[in-house]
Amino acid sequence: MRKVYLDHSATTPVDPRVVEAMLPYLTEKFGNASSVHLFGQEARAAVDRARRQVASLIGARANEIVFTSGGTESNNLAIRGICEIAEARGRHIITSVIEHSSVGGTIDFLEKRGWDVTRLPVYDDGVVRLEDVQAAIRSDTVLISVMMANNEIGTIQPIAEIGALVRAERERGRRYLWFHTDAVQAAGRLTINVETVGCDLLSLSAHKIYAPKGNGALFIRRGLRLLPQQVGGHQERERRAGTESVANIVAFGAAAELAQREMNKRNEHTRRLRDRFESVVTKRLDEIRFNGNREQRLPHLSNISFRFIEGEGLLIHLDMQGVAVSTGSACSSGTLEPSPVIRALGRDEELARGAIRFSFGKDNSAEDVDYVVEVLARAVESLRKLSPLHRRSVVAV
Amino acid sequence: MGSNALSYSETFKDHLANPRNVGELSDANAVAEETNPVCGDRLRLSMRIRNGRIEAARFLAYGCPPTLVCGSALAEIIEGMSTEDAVKLTRREIVKAVGGLSTRKQHAAALAIEVLRTGIENWRHGSMA
Repeated sequence: MRKVYLDHSATTPVDPRVVEAMLPYLTEKFGNASSVHLFGQEARAAVDRARRQVASLIGARANEIVFTSGGTESNNLAIRGICEIAEARGRHIITSVIEHSSVGGTIDFLEKRGWDVTRLPVYDDGVVRLEDVQAAIRSDTVLISVMMANNEIGTIQPIAEIGALVRAERERGRRYLWFHTDAVQAAGRLTINVETVGCDLLSLSAHKIYAPKGNGALFIRRGLRLLPQQVGGHQERERRAGTESVANIVAFGAAAELAQREMNKRNEHTRRLRDRFESVVTKRLDEIRFNGNREQRLPHLSNISFRFIEGEGLLIHLDMQGVAVSTGSACSSGTLEPSPVIRALGRDEELARGAIRFSFGKDNSAEDVDYVVEVLARAVESLRKLSPLHRRSVVAV
Repeated sequence: MGSNALSYSETFKDHLANPRNVGELSDANAVAEETNPVCGDRLRLSMRIRNGRIEAARFLAYGCPPTLVCGSALAEIIEGMSTEDAVKLTRREIVKAVGGLSTRKQHAAALAIEVLRTGIENWRHGSMA
């Protein structure tokens, strides 16, 4: 059976060039980057090089990068780190309703501990409005956290505009307002420059850009102090204690360099595949809805709601044919949680339940697209035949 | 993000790939449709009952894979069964027929039993959904 992986927003396969770069640090170059001897120095040099590579991907300085265990830890460190150190200055956070759970959950946690939270809507196109951000800013607002691009529908948020707004507030004398953006989905797909974006904190994850799972980074603007969430060691300039995972960091650095170098090529490729997919799906299937702004979105992602059917059934059907995709809805113990992101677009429950994310990668081919469309069309047809919401299939037996 | 195909049995996947007795009978004399009020899963069952025996049964389902599969297993099992035996069917028997279900997915089998009992009840009272 052919296997087609269309879930690159969940994770990516590790690039063989990245494996090659990290292998020596799993074998002969095993030193602890904090050790003073040659083994340690070798590891330290590798970590420093990776730090420069990751910094370069987002236009930052190397000493503004803190390595973490992944995107979730980066988001926790950014949000809790800044809010907990600044709580005497204010306890109000602005965020959006479509953040990844690692941002949403961290902010929920703070809300339970007394912080006020404003969650901005996204309207039917899945994009935050600048005027809503502006209107939400209060005298006690300490943090704005809005993702750069959404993980389910790929919509790109007006991050540079929010950054400019924060900068303007600072120029008017506000010293205690900071801006964080979760760039886990955007990195390697959008050209990012932290100066242009104007953010103070920016989260990254390695495994979304063809490096292994278990590593991420947080950009912390020079001069900004956070309350460390992990203590008991001097690593990462006291901002994140714990022995560096050298091999993973080296892999992240190599992947960041490749992502930067190959970004245009990868984007052209995935955009071509995605557009071909959407064009054929539109011809083959009726009663479908594309979710999110189709212009202002990541080039590799397509999110479609299929009316009359439920996403999990479609996902399993595709999985049985070797096609890997994602759905934002989950059903367990008789309770259903339709994707909050799709619901935030104002879609009805049926469309929210029938949403599937297809996310393309650099190694997919046009043949993959053709195979997926065939399998998808058959699966949708088969599930619709079963559906009491669809036209009734009356039979005489 | 939901379940994966590996968490289901071969029987389950076979029902999902090749659902049995799909559709709605044109000459049904017992019809019921039940919705799980919490998750919105829906199951519709139409039966032709003659002399206390279910001669034919067809189902339609909307919802998560266990709901689709339990509908398929139900419609297959009850064909040829007496209504007296059919009302005694249990959730456990449906779970067994689909090759097992995790505890958190057993609501789908409960919905199948509910729609069957409502259908037979409707037939006894001469009413149709």
